[in-house]
Amino acid sequence: MTKLRITEYLDIDLSKEVWCCNRCDQELNSARKNYKEACLVTERNMADVHPPMVEGEAYSFMPDPDYCRLIEFYCPNCGTMLENEYLPPGHPVTHEIELDIDALKKRHADSAGLEK
Amino acid sequence: MGKISYGRDEEVVQRMRPEPMTEAEAKAQDTIDDVEFEIFKHKMHMIGLEGKETTMKLGASTAMRFGDVAFGIFTAQGDLAVCATGIYHHAVLGQIPLKYIVKHLVEEPSVGVKDGDSFFYNDPYYAGVHNADMGLSVPVFHEGRLICFIGAAVHTGEAGGSEPGGTVTAAKSKYDEGMLIPPIKVGENYQLKEDLLNMFAAMNRDPRTMILDIKARLAATRIAQRRVLEVVEEKGADFVIGGLRKILAMTGQAARKKISRLNDGVYRQPRFLDTLGEDSGLVKIDLTVIKKDDQITLNLENSSPMLMDRPCNSYFQGIIGLAMVYFCGWLFHDLPPNNGLLEAIDWKFPDGSFINAKGDVATSIAPLVQITFTHGMFQSGARMTYATMPERSVASWFSGFSIPTFGGLNQFGEPVADITPEINATGCGARMDMDGVDAAGAFFATMADCSDVETTEADKPFLYGFRNYYNGSYGHGKRRGGAGLGYSLITHDTDYLLMGSHGGGSKFPTTQGLFGGYGLPSLFVRKVAHSNFKELLGESNVDLPTSLEHVYDGTSPETGSVSHGNISAVVEPSADGDVVYSYAGGGAGLGDALERDPEDIMRDLATDMVSEWAATNIYCIVYDKETMRLDVAATETARAAKRKERIASAKPYDAFVKEWEKQSPPQDVLRYYGEFPHPGTKALVA
Repeated sequence: MTKLRITEYLDIDLSKEVWCCNRCDQELNSARKNYKEACLVTERNMADVHPPMVEGEAYSFMPDPDYCRLIEFYCPNCGTMLENEYLPPGHPVTHEIELDIDALKKRHADSAGLEK
Repeated sequence: MGKISYGRDEEVVQRMRPEPMTEAEAKAQDTIDDVEFEIFKHKMHMIGLEGKETTMKLGASTAMRFGDVAFGIFTAQGDLAVCATGIYHHAVLGQIPLKYIVKHLVEEPSVGVKDGDSFFYNDPYYAGVHNADMGLSVPVFHEGRLICFIGAAVHTGEAGGSEPGGTVTAAKSKYDEGMLIPPIKVGENYQLKEDLLNMFAAMNRDPRTMILDIKARLAATRIAQRRVLEVVEEKGADFVIGGLRKILAMTGQAARKKISRLNDGVYRQPRFLDTLGEDSGLVKIDLTVIKKDDQITLNLENSSPMLMDRPCNSYFQGIIGLAMVYFCGWLFHDLPPNNGLLEAIDWKFPDGSFINAKGDVATSIAPLVQITFTHGMFQSGARMTYATMPERSVASWFSGFSIPTFGGLNQFGEPVADITPEINATGCGARMDMDGVDAAGAFFATMADCSDVETTEADKPFLYGFRNYYNGSYGHGKRRGGAGLGYSLITHDTDYLLMGSHGGGSKFPTTQGLFGGYGLPSLFVRKVAHSNFKELLGESNVDLPTSLEHVYDGTSPETGSVSHGNISAVVEPSADGDVVYSYAGGGAGLGDALERDPEDIMRDLATDMVSEWAATNIYCIVYDKETMRLDVAATETARAAKRKERIASAKPYDAFVKEWEKQSPPQDVLRYYGEFPHPGTKALVA
C-alpha cells in the first residue's frame, strides 16, 4: 500500500511521488509541488456564494471585492472542489502544504515496500 | 533603589519557556514517587479548578461571570505549572508578570515579596493580550520559604481609556488606552490597600465592577493558598516545589512526543485583516508553520509593518499566547495547559512588524490581530494533522469578533461599561465526521458562556428584541459550520449610553473554510435610530422581527433611520429606543458542499438551520417546497451537472494565474499593508 491519505481530498502515491484526488484517483502532479498547479481554477462571482442581503449598501453580507475574492480549485477529472481560498485580488495562490517527501517515504518505508 | 527598571523590560517577556531547573527542584525529582506524583498533580488541578469557579462566582464583570477566567499555580520562579482555564492563552502568558515580580520585586527593598502580599497587573506588554485582561497573584510562603505563587487572570470589561468597554478603537498611541499597569503590590498583610483601590476606581468608568473583580481574584487565590499549604504540610515543601517543576518537565516531553507523530513539512496560511481600528484597510499576517521531527516553528516574517498611529498592533507574546489556544485546545488537548508546552514550539517574528509591536504604539485591538493569526494556526494545524490524527483536524470556529461595547448609565442610574456576551456563543468549525456545534462558545474561551438575555437585561440598559441561531452565520460544506447567533439590542431605560462595536470582517471575512468548505459571509452592524420597535412591542405587535432573517426579508414593520456600518466602530450616543442588529459568527465549513448528505440538508431546512437559497444554490438539492420531500434522483443529476459545469468553466492553473496576478487591491486599501503582495516591515504612517 503506497497511497497515503493527506487531506479530505488528497492522497499521495508514495511510490510514484504524485498527488492524487482521493475521490476519483486522478493523478494530479508531483507530490513535491503545489497540487493546485494541477487543478482547474476559477474565481467565483461572490454574490453566487455570499449573496448580499441588503441591496445598494457598502456593508452587506457580501465581502468587498476591493478586499477579497474567492478562488476555487477543482479536480480536473471529477470536478470535486479540493480547496478554495479567500484572497485579495491578485495575491499569489498559497502553497499551503509542502510535505517533506523524503521524510514521508522514510516513515512509511516498511508499509510502502520502499527502500529505507 | 534595588532592581526596579523604569519602562518596559524587554528581557523578561522573552522568557516564555520554563526557567532552568533550580537546585532544589532538581534534587526533589528523584524522590518523587510516580503514584504520589499523580495524586499531587490531580490535587493541584482540583485546587486550580476550585479557584477558577470561585473567581467566576464572586466576580462582577460580564466576562468574569461567564468564564473568561484563568486560575493558576506558579513555581517560585514564576512558571505556570497548573492552569485551570478555558482561556488557553493565559496558560503561556500568565507567567510573564510573575517572572517580572521575581526579577524586579523580590529583592527590591522598597517593595519586596512577603507572606500576605498581593500583586496586580494589566499591561498587555506583560500579560500579553489586552489591558482588559487583568491579573492578581499572591506568593505562598511556608515557614518563611517561598513555595509558589497563585494567580487569577480575568477579563474585566472596562479599563479606562478614551472609549469604554476595554477597547479603544480610535487609539493613536498607548496613552489613549487607559490603565496599563505593570506588576505592582496592591496588598500587604492580607489586606488590599484602599488608596490604590481608589486610584483604580478613579481610572475606570465602572469602579464598582473594577473593585469587585479585584476582590474576587484575591478571595479565590487566598482559598487556593490555604489548599496548597495543606498539601505542603502533608507532603513537605520539597515535594511540592519538585512536583510543580515535574509537571512542567513532563508536559514539554509529552508535547515533543506528540509533535513527532505528525508528518514533517511546511504549512502556509496568509491571513488578512480588513480593519485598522476606526477605519478600514488591509494588513497581512504571513504565517508559515514548519514541522520538523519533534519541533514546530512559527515563522511570521513578511507580515505587514507596525502601524504607528492605529491600534491594530500586537505584542509578539500575545501572538504566541493565541497560538497556544490552538495547541492547548486542539493538538495538545490531552496535555496540561502550561508553559512547558513551549519546549516544543519555536517562533520567528520580524522586527518592525505589527505583530511584534514596540514602543508607544497602540494595541487596543490586539485581540483581533491575534485571533486573525490563530485562524491561520487552525488552517495549518488541520492540514498538518489530517494524515495522522484526523479527529484533530477541524475547520475554524468563528475567528472574528463581533462585540458590542458600551458605557454610560444603566436603568438604575449607575455607571456601567462593558461588553455583551454573545462572543461566547459562536459556532464550532466543522469536522471531518460531524457538523460544527451550534452556538458552542468562543474558540479562545471554550468553557465560557453567553449568559441568559435576562441576566444581561437585569443590570444593563438593554432589551433584547431576539437572540437565536442565525442560519446565514456559518460556512457551508460537506460538513457545515455550527451556527452563531443573530440578535438585536434595544437601548432601554437610560439617560446616557454610548455604544460601539469591536470586530473585523466587514470587508474581508475573518473565517475561511477548509478542504473546499466555505468560509463565513462578511459582518456588519445595522442600526435603527429613532426606532418604533419599543412602541410596537408595547402594542404586542406580532410582526416584529424574531430573527435576523426576518430583519432582512422586507416584512418588518419597524421604522426609523436605518444605517449599515462596519463591525469595527467607535462608540457614539445611543438614545433610548435605538436598535442595533448584529450576529456572532458561526464556524467554517469543511469539504465540498456538493458532498453534503441531502438528508442532512432536509433536516436543516425543517429546523430553519439552512436557508432555501443555500439548499438550492450551494448544496444543489432538489426538493418539493410544499411537501418537503427530497427528490434523490434529481439531486444527483443537479450535482453531476454542477461538477461538469465547474470543469467546463474553470481554467488550467497557469492560464488562471496569468490573468489573476495582473490585479491588485486599490492603493487606499493597501496604505498600511506594506509592499503588495509581500509586505516589508518598515513601520508606516499613512
